[in-house]
Amino acid sequence: MLSKIFEALYVKIFVNIVIEKTKTLVYIEMRSKKELLNHAYMDFPTTHLSDAMIEFILRYTQESPYYYIALLDTSKEQGAIPTCTKSKLLTYYDISESEYKCFNNTWSLYTSKSDLYQLEKTYNAIGLDFIFSPFTLLYHFFKDKVSENIALFVLVQEESISLTVFQYSQLLYAKYIVVEHMSVEASGNDANLEELEELEDPSFDDSIDLEDMDVDDQIESLEDFGDIEDLDSIEDIEQFSENKDIEEELFESEDELRDGEDETFQADYQKFTLIEKGVSNFYSDDRYESEFIENIYIADATGVSGDLKKYLEEEMFLNVYIRKIDLCVELCELSKEELN
Amino acid sequence: MTRYSYKKPRTKSPFTPELQLIVSFFGVTILMLSLTYLFLVYKDKQFINEKNAMVKEKLFLAHETANIDKKIAYIQKQKLTAEKVLTQNMVLKDSIANLFDLVPERITLSKAKLLKNGLVLQGITPTKDVYNFMLQAPLRSIFQKTYSSFYPASNGWLYFVSKNYMDEENEGLDSEN
Repeated sequence: MLSKIFEALYVKIFVNIVIEKTKTLVYIEMRSKKELLNHAYMDFPTTHLSDAMIEFILRYTQESPYYYIALLDTSKEQGAIPTCTKSKLLTYYDISESEYKCFNNTWSLYTSKSDLYQLEKTYNAIGLDFIFSPFTLLYHFFKDKVSENIALFVLVQEESISLTVFQYSQLLYAKYIVVEHMSVEASGNDANLEELEELEDPSFDDSIDLEDMDVDDQIESLEDFGDIEDLDSIEDIEQFSENKDIEEELFESEDELRDGEDETFQADYQKFTLIEKGVSNFYSDDRYESEFIENIYIADATGVSGDLKKYLEEEMFLNVYIRKIDLCVELCELSKEELN
Repeated sequence: MTRYSYKKPRTKSPFTPELQLIVSFFGVTILMLSLTYLFLVYKDKQFINEKNAMVKEKLFLAHETANIDKKIAYIQKQKLTAEKVLTQNMVLKDSIANLFDLVPERITLSKAKLLKNGLVLQGITPTKDVYNFMLQAPLRSIFQKTYSSFYPASNGWLYFVSKNYMDEENEGLDSEN
């Protein structure tokens, strides 16, 4: 009772830490009940807890005993499983070396115990109050969408891609993919570039060599398109348009995607391939209840170019919706929810 | 139980070192003030009790003083009375001595009675003349009224009764033998 009174009297401070490839982002929010009093943002050119970072955080946390430090989990051995039943968990992943948490009694999150221990050890100087999984962050960010029909939800970070499939708030599939950054000098680069060029110029790949054409074969194959009239029928078009998220499209149009630049072009293609692999894994793996995905919602934390959207739309025939996400702010929102 | 996080938040205590210092400072101050207040309340009560006791004692002493004053007044009265009695006795003694000095050797007194303003003598005298010259004369110088009566005794002498009175202004002894 007394502690509740004190808690109401003090300012609450939320410290949110997101570790990226070469830097660490720290976002601090000071709140009095529901009012935002102050906020600060700083990035540090290190992936470890530096003295400057400690000094920056302590400057704010010393103002109130009610401060909460949250961190986004960066473990490579993390993921989510579409069940909470212990016996079934093992069919998806060996969780003996993992810390796992049942979410909404329908699906589970897991991460490496040793990585959690390592994180706590690294941040021992300031301590940690919350460690959030990118999957919970994604679920929270698309809370309004996960409760709807099946869709693919992707959190794109510099170092990783968290991929989930939700249908009416039930997780069907999840995968945490670490993005291996490719250097321009990398041996496999040429092959990728070629592949990219082919994608950029579909006419080359899709062109028909009239000389090699076997007329009979072509006719047989054309027979498969016997129902072409059905495809073009108005009903199908209407059904297709029903699955499109018009609201999200309107929302998205406000944030114009930047044009693809050379350096992001390659990265976006890599992300596309990783997403594609993830989705094909979902379709092919018998352990998952695979259903046809039409919509993909991307939480963009890195600033993807329009190319990624184009690849996904053209190659996977998905309706792509991209929302910008500020990981630090979302982490802060999760901390607030956790305390309520 | 956390909903989203792998980790439970650390327990937050509002008692920061600064707050602990402030609380201990105010705590000690309040404790000292409380003790002082309690001490003053105790002393106040003690003083009230002492005051009440003293008021009672004062009343008792006032009563005692009044009693003593009464006793003193009574003793003073007794003393005055004693002095008066002593003086009267001395006066009486002197009077009796003077009376017996007045009586000549030839006259024998059988009874002398001292009154408030008079003297009654009974006795035997050889003759009337002895009585008249030797006793009545000095008695007349003292008393304004003198009455004498005689009757003969068996041996030829005379019994006499002499009654002598003074005027009211010359009031003498008020006691009787």
